[in-house]
Amino acid sequence: MLAVAAVAPQAGVSQTAPPADADLESARELLRTNTTQIAKVKLLMATEPAFHFKA
Amino acid sequence: MAKFSFTDDIYFGSIAEISAALRTKEFSTVELTRAFCDRLEKLGPRYNALALSLREPALRKAKEVDRDFKLDRVRSPLQGIPYGAKDLLAVKGKPTTWGAKPYASQVFDEDAQVIALLDKAGAILIGKLSMVELAGGGGYRFPSASLTGPGLNPWDRTRWSGGSSSGPGSATAAGLVTFSIGSETSGSILTPSAYCGITGLRPTYGLVSRRGAMALSWTLDKIGPMCRSAEDCALVLSVIAGVDYEDPGSAGKSFHYVPQFARKPDEITVGYAPIDFDESADPAARAGFQEALKVVKSLGMNMKEVEIPDFPYGALVSTIIGAEAASVFEDFLRSEKVNELADHRQAQGLKTGLDIPAIEYLRAMRVRALVQQAFKDLFFGVDFLLAPTRPTIASKVTDPLDRPTTPAATAQKSRGLNGLIPAGNLAGLPAISLPCGFAAALPIAISVVGRPFYENQLIAIGKAFQAHTDWHRRRPPVTE
Repeated sequence: MLAVAAVAPQAGVSQTAPPADADLESARELLRTNTTQIAKVKLLMATEPAFHFKA
Repeated sequence: MAKFSFTDDIYFGSIAEISAALRTKEFSTVELTRAFCDRLEKLGPRYNALALSLREPALRKAKEVDRDFKLDRVRSPLQGIPYGAKDLLAVKGKPTTWGAKPYASQVFDEDAQVIALLDKAGAILIGKLSMVELAGGGGYRFPSASLTGPGLNPWDRTRWSGGSSSGPGSATAAGLVTFSIGSETSGSILTPSAYCGITGLRPTYGLVSRRGAMALSWTLDKIGPMCRSAEDCALVLSVIAGVDYEDPGSAGKSFHYVPQFARKPDEITVGYAPIDFDESADPAARAGFQEALKVVKSLGMNMKEVEIPDFPYGALVSTIIGAEAASVFEDFLRSEKVNELADHRQAQGLKTGLDIPAIEYLRAMRVRALVQQAFKDLFFGVDFLLAPTRPTIASKVTDPLDRPTTPAATAQKSRGLNGLIPAGNLAGLPAISLPCGFAAALPIAISVVGRPFYENQLIAIGKAFQAHTDWHRRRPPVTE
């Protein structure tokens, strides 16, 4: 259900996956970037999370 | 009766056309089903689109439908229509793989709710269609992140069909099914629809039940129709939408297709950003996007320039999916089985979701509340938003997917509506993707996004656009 970002054709790139630890580092780097970007948004105390529980 | 010879006009026919032929007994449902099963089994593998043929149950159902036709029992406009479902939807007693090797032998004992609704309506499920493994929740690096291999585009098999609803995209575009059911957490209906040149509808969050579907992100997952026209999307949505008290995300709403109640064009204001149709788009696609914009303007709607509210949409979607998917798949991710996934990046991405602290997930969900409010505010000034579905054409199947290609935001004069796919998903908004031309012989598309539960009007705009264009009727070069 998740589509990745749009990409451009890139000639001559091999479809060999990088070593697993490089993938892990890349995934962790994404988490850090996400955290930094989201932390820049100012939130008021009254702002509740966007999910609702129905009893 | 002489054996009917099925032609491309049937394989690429609309639901209404095929339904009319069935009712006038031009051919039987069994004949139609057999012909589509033959075609799906023969051509589906050519696009890596087929996960599982359901020929036997399909023919049994077809016989039942023919009996209904004989007795003039009308179930729905979908009665007798062959379709395919993304392999994340459970079909009782049949393998449901979620596109992933570790789940290759998984079998459920109940149909997903949408499958049950379509069955009740008389639609014929002829196959499970392929998908990116686990719907791509970990952020896959290559289109080959699937049990069935990379989804191949019917317009050019060296190109990707898009994901994660790859099979529904390819199979519908190639006329292997009359319609299909896909799912979207962030872009997985719209992207393959755009890349394959079909019409896809992402419903409002909660309008269609997800019961029996693989969960990736409870607060983002949606199921919707992937068809060859806006009209067909309406007919399918009419059947699959509705209340389901067993889906905690169900909005408690239904959908009735009432085109007669759609507002007139001059009563509608569409928000758009010129930059999206120009500098932000792939140079090869700009002419097509600008022509599509001209067509929309000619429909008589009021056009207003807008810009998307400034939020880190990609980071928000990534954090929310990462945390929720890690919770959904926790046991799997802590086991060795996760290493059986086809894409290393995807496996590592999913596992890393286990490291997202609660505080960060909550922060993302609080910012999401601001996103929802910002879109409510935006919809005070406009009724709909319009933008290219994807600014680029489908990538080569061998290309990695983790390289951004659109010009960097800092280098652009305006944000335009860049990020509308993750933003629309975060806000739970409905969208329809409409084919609008070709670039480098590959389809391109525009999307219209509306307020929650404005599907009827979205479809009306789609129909109006398709009444003035024929891109949705173009057929890829499929030969048996």
